[in-house]
Amino acid sequence: MTIDVPRALDSTTPSFATLAEELLDDVYGYLLYLTKNWAVAEDLTGETFEAAFKKWRRFDPGRGTPRAWLLAIARSTALDWFRADARRRKREERAGAIEHARELTPFGEGFSAELAESLQALSAGEREVVALRIVLDLDGEETARLLGISVTAVSTRLSRALSKLEERMRDHDAVA
Amino acid sequence: MTPSPELIRELRASRPSAPAELRARVRAVASERPIRSPWASWRFPLRRGMLVAVPAAAALAIASAGVLGITRSESPEPISQAALEKSTLQASPEYDTSTAGSGQRAQRVSATLTVEVKDANAVSHAAQSALDLTRSLGGYVVASSVATGDEGSASITVRVPVDKVQDAITGLSDLGRLVSQQVTIDDLQQNLDELTRREASTRTQISRIRARLESETLDPQTEAVLRSRLQTLRADLVSIRGELAATNAGARMSTIQLSVVTPGATGAVAPASRIDRMIDEALNVLAWEGVVALGLLIVLAPFALVGLAAWLGRRVYRRHEEERLLAT
Repeated sequence: MTIDVPRALDSTTPSFATLAEELLDDVYGYLLYLTKNWAVAEDLTGETFEAAFKKWRRFDPGRGTPRAWLLAIARSTALDWFRADARRRKREERAGAIEHARELTPFGEGFSAELAESLQALSAGEREVVALRIVLDLDGEETARLLGISVTAVSTRLSRALSKLEERMRDHDAVA
Repeated sequence: MTPSPELIRELRASRPSAPAELRARVRAVASERPIRSPWASWRFPLRRGMLVAVPAAAALAIASAGVLGITRSESPEPISQAALEKSTLQASPEYDTSTAGSGQRAQRVSATLTVEVKDANAVSHAAQSALDLTRSLGGYVVASSVATGDEGSASITVRVPVDKVQDAITGLSDLGRLVSQQVTIDDLQQNLDELTRREASTRTQISRIRARLESETLDPQTEAVLRSRLQTLRADLVSIRGELAATNAGARMSTIQLSVVTPGATGAVAPASRIDRMIDEALNVLAWEGVVALGLLIVLAPFALVGLAAWLGRRVYRRHEEERLLAT
């Protein structure tokens, strides 16, 4: 859904609580696709809304919809987590320990086993574009702005991700 | 390759929903009372600020150029009476060597004037008036050249007593429209003091030699040397006295060079109107403002380029890092 408001602080602007209620599923879904880990997605969703709450007074509707604004904060939060996770993995590799927790915590409820497994095979960038364009139904321009790439690059990435996903699903069906 | 509609349907159907615990947590966050700090929400509107600041700076530059152009476009005025009185009082005609050290200084005053008259007839009339005025002030004409014709002009050099130079400049300026005026004052006192000292010293030496020649019995060789020295000193004394006289004369009389021109005469500068002068001055100020802005740009450009390169480098690095992180 898209909520367009003229000014952040005028009377027509929905309150942050209303906005959080309406956009919570979008933010959580996006983060779940990005991290493929429901526990991490929950944590990051909480962090996203805390950060957004602090920045809410500075939100400028003239520069984008509240959903795009929230998703940008979610993306930034997720990237921070990816960085921290990469550092943690490096430390563990040096120490000889392998973390399996991530693999043991799948997408969670609501996904078929085939879809969950197929999504696991995609990269985070591919899952991200599937989430934004297919699941959350953002248009190409909004997605491009959020990801900081061109509309063409978004289309290419989405096409590649869906092809890969479809192929994985077919393979799964064939095995079954 | 077009994705199958079944896949799209399945992806949309399995759209995740936030669990109840997370929803409660976010509700709790959203229901908190925000801390209201006057500065927390304030952010400098860079783009809007630039949109206002750039035209404002340009308007200020143009306005200041206009104001300076107006204030500097005044017509050239003759030197004030007070300034002339001061300079002429200091250069008194009675000044000579006997006044050295009395506090009054010997000075040479010279002036160059250009006046414009309406036509060739007026040139002749002005030249004659200038000569008459010079004589009436006790001065004399050093050189005079008057050309008549379609575009007449005259060049007259006169010398007047220094105490009359103020009257002379005022009278000559009134012969037409004053186009330009320059008064130069050279100090002669130091030169005069030096000549006076040399004169006294020479006279003393001459007296001593004459005394020796008259009172002492000298051998022929010494007497010849002293007589030769006496001759040289007498010649020096004559020269010094000549220089003293010339310097005193320079301090007594002022030289005024007058040019009388018509508007069409060669070399005559057409008088600019007030508006023309104002525009010229405003353009000059604008040019200087441009020079200052360019200077600042030259000084600041390297820093700006380094900053821009750092910003671009950081941006590229972040983009690559993001791609690497999301490729897993």
